[in-house]
Amino acid sequence: MSTDSSTSPTASSDSPGDQGLALHHITVRFGGLLALDDVSLRVPPGRIVGIIGPNGAGKTTLFNVICGFVAPQSGAITLDGRPFRPRPHHLSGRGIARTLQGVGQFNGMTVLDNVLVGARSRKHEEEAWAALERCGVAEHAGALPASLPYAKRKRVELARALAAKPRILMLDEPAGGLDADEIRWLATLIQEAGCTVLLVEHHMDLVMSVCDEILVLDFGKPIALGTPGEIRNDEKVAEAYLGAAA
Amino acid sequence: MTVLKDRVTSRMVAPVMRRRLNPFLMVAVGAVLVVVLTYTLPPFRTYQLATIGAYLCVTAGLTVLTGLNGQLSLGHGALMATGAYTLALWQNKFNLLAVGIVVAILVTTVAGLVIGLAAARLRGPYLAGLTLAVAVVVPSVASTFDETFNSDQGLSVILNPPPESMTVEQWQAWLCWGGALVTTLVLALVTRGRFGRDMRAVRDDETAAKLAGISIARTQVWTFVISAACAGLGGALFAVLAQSVSPGAFPLTLSLFLVMAIVIGGLGRLTGAVIGAFLLVALPAVAHEIGEASGSQRLEGNLALTFFGVVLVVVMLAAPGGLASLRLPRSWRARLSRKPAHRAGS
Repeated sequence: MSTDSSTSPTASSDSPGDQGLALHHITVRFGGLLALDDVSLRVPPGRIVGIIGPNGAGKTTLFNVICGFVAPQSGAITLDGRPFRPRPHHLSGRGIARTLQGVGQFNGMTVLDNVLVGARSRKHEEEAWAALERCGVAEHAGALPASLPYAKRKRVELARALAAKPRILMLDEPAGGLDADEIRWLATLIQEAGCTVLLVEHHMDLVMSVCDEILVLDFGKPIALGTPGEIRNDEKVAEAYLGAAA
Repeated sequence: MTVLKDRVTSRMVAPVMRRRLNPFLMVAVGAVLVVVLTYTLPPFRTYQLATIGAYLCVTAGLTVLTGLNGQLSLGHGALMATGAYTLALWQNKFNLLAVGIVVAILVTTVAGLVIGLAAARLRGPYLAGLTLAVAVVVPSVASTFDETFNSDQGLSVILNPPPESMTVEQWQAWLCWGGALVTTLVLALVTRGRFGRDMRAVRDDETAAKLAGISIARTQVWTFVISAACAGLGGALFAVLAQSVSPGAFPLTLSLFLVMAIVIGGLGRLTGAVIGAFLLVALPAVAHEIGEASGSQRLEGNLALTFFGVVLVVVMLAAPGGLASLRLPRSWRARLSRKPAHRAGS
């Protein structure tokens, strides 16, 4: 991810030939609420980019814009330098996979079928089994997701996303409800994902340990952008999380 | 990968997979059973068997639509009427039954496409409302355009006599069950593949399904079209059975009975569709016999509906997944699963 950081995190210096995903001055309003205010972000291939902020900062809205669930009032998205008008069911074909907050699962289908839904290529069975193995849930392939513990269900959802062999993996609060061991496993998985990862997460240790760069949102506005070390020492970020007294 | 898959398949997946019956084998067994029954049952029972076959075409399509894709249709009686009237018009003009059945399916498919396109934009009670309106409108269209559809008297269906080697009832049963078995085979194959998974994914979580690359609208429309085609075939077979079609044969209650039948049988299961089709014939027949025994025509008229209501409540209390979800008691299953092990060990 890179920006023209001379002024603010919103100012990006995009050029048409850039590889990867780029958001240009995205603004979203829900009635009178400004959910995203002139957010720009460039995510080069292979980077792990975290998006953090207090509750209601606009993190998931930003994901929804990238996925086409929410249309921005202004701004544009480019993928590999070309204009990208996202539609949710076309994302998979463009190499973008996303997990949802909580667990978005197909409870009437077995774990294997859940993952097969995500694998859309001709070798879908192989890819599904590989993803199940990678996420450590292959032995539950014949079970219904609802019969598994929460952490395993999260893994099934991750497996479905990975089965699509994405080049951009969007994870929306993947650590929510997981214990320390599961979060360590998740950190390893993200680092070894082998693709671009966009991570929305409240678990700071996870974000700081796996991300190359982090964008911080507060009330829809980007307030900081940088490496984990820079973000850790950023006064605006501390203020957003801890209040003005900090 | 293959090693892992094999290991896991043998340990965990196999019990699930084993429960899936081979559809070709089931259809072959069904065909043999129907042939045997048509030579052993008396003519009226053979006619009832044929009626079950015709109903099965409709219930199988409806259970896929409602049970696997989550679209509630209260208008399948109207789609049956579309198929039946198309066949009647065709037969009265050309008298080519095989082609007529195909034409009936095609016309109903087009009707299903139109309804499906609208239905894909609606959810829950609004979708049910739309299909309910179709169920009300289609029979009244037949009543209104009396020059074409002969109003409430309906149309008779010209049919060639069956081959000399068999009775009319046998021929009807073979025809209806031929259609039913082809329908169930096609639906079994469709629902086991990728499209079947897509249907279930759309039913379970539309947002997650979209993110997995599934077009919700396309999946819903195609499912509706498939289900409509099945209803069209069922309607055409009914026209063959009754040798006439009239608006009174496809009332709103028929659509409600169809939904109740697939719920009682087991929503989303083709076995449930078979049970539902059987109940659609058996319950009114039992009601008829009780009504006759009591000597009250009024009772006879309402008893079938009462029967369905009571059976629905009882089945939902005892087996919420429908009759097809009933399993043998655990002790029986354990005994059955132990037997092969003993044999293997000895």
